[in-house]
Amino acid sequence: MNSAVTPRLEVRDIEKSFPGVRALRKVSLQVFPGEVLSVVGENGAGKSTLMKILAGVHSPDAGLLLVDGQQQQFARVADAMQHGIALIHQELNLADNLNIGANLFLGREPRKFGLIDDQTIRRQAESLLQRIGLKFSPDTLVRDLTVGQQQMVEIAKALSINARVLIMDEPTSSLSAAESARLFEVIRDLRQQGVSIVYISHRLAEVQDLSDRAVVLRDGSTAGSLQRGQITHDNLVRLMVGRDVSRIFSRSPCPPGQTVLEVHKLRTATWPAHEVSFSIKAGEVVGIAGLVGAGRTELLRTLFGIDTPLSGSITAAGRQLQLRSPQDAIAAGIALVPEDRKQQGVVLDMAIRQNIGLASAHRHSHAGFLSFATEQAQSAEMCGRLRVKSPDDQVRVGNLSGGNQQKVVLGKWLALRPSLLLLDEPTRGIDVGAKQEIYQLMDELAQQGLAVLFVSSELEEILGLSDRVLVMHEGRITGQLQRDALSEQAIMHLATGHFAEQVVQ
Amino acid sequence: MKGKVLGIFSVLAALCLCLTLATANPWWNPAQSQFLDLDNIMNLLSRTALYGILGIGVAFVIITSGIDLSIGSMVCLCGVLLTILLKVDYQPQQPLSVTRMTAADRTILVAGSTESLKPGDTVRFTGGVGSGLVLTVESATADRLVVRETLTRDERDGRIVRILPLESFDATSLTATLPATTAEANDQLQLFRRDGSVTGQKITAVAERGTQLQLTLARDPGQKYHSDSFAVVLRRSQRCSIPLAVLIVLITAAGLGLVHGLLITRLRLQPFVVTLCGLLIYRGASRWLTNDNPAGFGELQSILGPVASGRVGLLLKGDKVLFGIPIPFFLMTGLALIAAVVLTRTVWGRYLLALGRNEEAARFSGINTGRVTVMAYVICAVMAAVGGMLFALEYSSISPSSFGNSFELYAIAAAVLGGCSLRGGEGSIPGVVIGTAVMQVLNNMIMLLRIPQSLEYTIIGAVILLGVLGDELVRRAAARRRLKQSIT
Repeated sequence: MNSAVTPRLEVRDIEKSFPGVRALRKVSLQVFPGEVLSVVGENGAGKSTLMKILAGVHSPDAGLLLVDGQQQQFARVADAMQHGIALIHQELNLADNLNIGANLFLGREPRKFGLIDDQTIRRQAESLLQRIGLKFSPDTLVRDLTVGQQQMVEIAKALSINARVLIMDEPTSSLSAAESARLFEVIRDLRQQGVSIVYISHRLAEVQDLSDRAVVLRDGSTAGSLQRGQITHDNLVRLMVGRDVSRIFSRSPCPPGQTVLEVHKLRTATWPAHEVSFSIKAGEVVGIAGLVGAGRTELLRTLFGIDTPLSGSITAAGRQLQLRSPQDAIAAGIALVPEDRKQQGVVLDMAIRQNIGLASAHRHSHAGFLSFATEQAQSAEMCGRLRVKSPDDQVRVGNLSGGNQQKVVLGKWLALRPSLLLLDEPTRGIDVGAKQEIYQLMDELAQQGLAVLFVSSELEEILGLSDRVLVMHEGRITGQLQRDALSEQAIMHLATGHFAEQVVQ
Repeated sequence: MKGKVLGIFSVLAALCLCLTLATANPWWNPAQSQFLDLDNIMNLLSRTALYGILGIGVAFVIITSGIDLSIGSMVCLCGVLLTILLKVDYQPQQPLSVTRMTAADRTILVAGSTESLKPGDTVRFTGGVGSGLVLTVESATADRLVVRETLTRDERDGRIVRILPLESFDATSLTATLPATTAEANDQLQLFRRDGSVTGQKITAVAERGTQLQLTLARDPGQKYHSDSFAVVLRRSQRCSIPLAVLIVLITAAGLGLVHGLLITRLRLQPFVVTLCGLLIYRGASRWLTNDNPAGFGELQSILGPVASGRVGLLLKGDKVLFGIPIPFFLMTGLALIAAVVLTRTVWGRYLLALGRNEEAARFSGINTGRVTVMAYVICAVMAAVGGMLFALEYSSISPSSFGNSFELYAIAAAVLGGCSLRGGEGSIPGVVIGTAVMQVLNNMIMLLRIPQSLEYTIIGAVILLGVLGDELVRRAAARRRLKQSIT
């Protein structure tokens, strides 16, 4: 990019911290007119935080923010919008009980005699929808649109405030391939119209396809910047991970033991038409790959007794299990490290010790009274074994980093000595160092004879850790891959709904 | 949590100090303070105890991030229920109901049989205009009775009871002698004269003398009844024994709490809505059960009343208790201790705190969150029942349309002042008790400083608001401090 051009939006040496995490350290970024700038990085690298600062959701602890070369301070989202900067969140922010027109002008409705001027809304909405090629009447209720169409409405909403910088946070994470293609067309059109796009994604193929420039973040710092010609998968991964990928993962395969769990023709409410069958042995690490919405989380939830299966059987050690609640699953030796760590994994406001004891308190109780001594011993053991980094175990779990929180969740379960460990996106929102520790732990646990079944959206993780991979698509297992048959292409092929020509057993 | 309890405790201490000074005359002489007046302090302790019991109960529900609005009505229902279960009745033996009394042939027709009567017996007719007539049986056949006396008018309706001539009365030993009949101590002896006058006295002792019965009365019925009068023994009956009545009330409350809990956990109804309906339903039920009439414990008040109004004397002057700890205060302290132990030292308490902070994480940890939550509502209802019975005894006469009104708000406010967060997962029992005391001292302040009573709610509301505001500011400051520490 020509350095004589003034960046439309620029940040210099931005710093931002949250309790327990230093999200950004001295990050600088420039956005030029009419370019697509991709910001990539692993989960927890600071992408979302940076975008929220650009859009006025958070204010930085330190650093400068410039719009058209002028220093600005955004105290709130409205300030950023005033300067033509709009953020489209990962989670859509539409009122789905209202129609498209009402959503586009929510909070700044044109008025006539003090009443909402529906005619003007409709006229303007129609031209906005036309601009992004969405063929719907402004009177359509948002809830009647698909996720992809709702995303378009969000974009139209951004355009309606004359956005000159459009920030998109993982816009394709819940879109179908066709919807994604449509989105890319719109992005290219907008670039043509002079709109700058800041595109966040960890789908590297998309980044390679779309971007004029890419900035890579790692652990809250800028790891590097790539120009159009340099944006390749390998370059991106090297910058994102910062070291040789194979060194992060350590899987020392061990001979599998007895079958720990056998799932036969299981159907869940999300995909009632499709069945899942598989089994897992002690000492095995099995990865479940697939796109968002393939039914992976639902499968784990069903195995943990949170969701009830529609039909099918789950057998452990020759005994058929009736999993009506997590208590049943725990009694059968199953533990789940859930996807949403802060909401489902830990109680943020409780201390480490109490969290570790949460699932096992009743086992060590005397006549209903807590055994504080056992609790303390257990917590000390787990903190040591899992290397939880904290001055002591009375620290509130909310003050820990994501990685240490995840270790607390693991500690809670290991205290119960389960035979099957389910992990749902075990490294989401965790920095690289802690990720490596979690991977090591998973490996160690498998060597100690645990069966480990994990869901991950990060292909590197699936490739690096699994002895065997189950690939899911729309609620069914489209294929199983053994470690020696694993490749990114093979997984993506199955994940997009192509069945394996021959299922490798 | 400890900080919060200390905070509210210092508020209480400051309030007490200010009130002491403000009500002393001159202000530097606290010995003359109206606030420190022994009666006032005893009263405060007693009220704190009663409201404290309700507060402790609702604290458990608030910790689940729920709410119980039905406490006031539950208090009323339980109070009313206790009065009904303990109702004492005095009835004569074998009363006969009259279907028709004909003056012309001196005949009385009764429903049922007259076989218990023989010629020469005396009966007393009540009902209609001729109430209180003393009649002598001439003949009794089947359901037909002929009397010797001249009747002045026909009656369609009434009741006759066999009465006995009083054989003698010894005014020094207060002993009445009657022909054989059944009687027990605590029954009542009703005495009549032919002129229709009537009186009654409690029987304190019964002795058989051959075919006669000697009844010792509690008091002299009056000279005119000493001779030429008739008597009937009214048998005492009480619906339930006291322990049984208390048990029934507690079980009823526990059952209602269970229903609240199940509706909230199983059917996922909102606690606010469920208990709001409870508030309306139990209030209505109480009014219906009593026909909207004031309810009381009658003669049992003197036995049971001290449970609520008794004092364990610490400072005596002769027989008079100058200062004593109210009995409900001991009760509340005991319940508070148990509650505190349950909350902080049992598995159930730990699970309650965990699910209050994060229900989902608790469920994902294998905690049966439904059962733990239901238990909290049961405890709250049972505590309301204990409070309700004590309040009813303290008030002695309760009016079902107003008794317990807005007590739930006092309880919730005390819990919030004491450090419970309506977001759940936070609360301390000592805090709730101190919070209750703050509310009662405020109430006391309004009275002592002659602040218009109409401002009561305004002042209490403002103080709670300030308390919660202060707490929030402290919390934010702490969060900022934590943030700074975590960065460095």
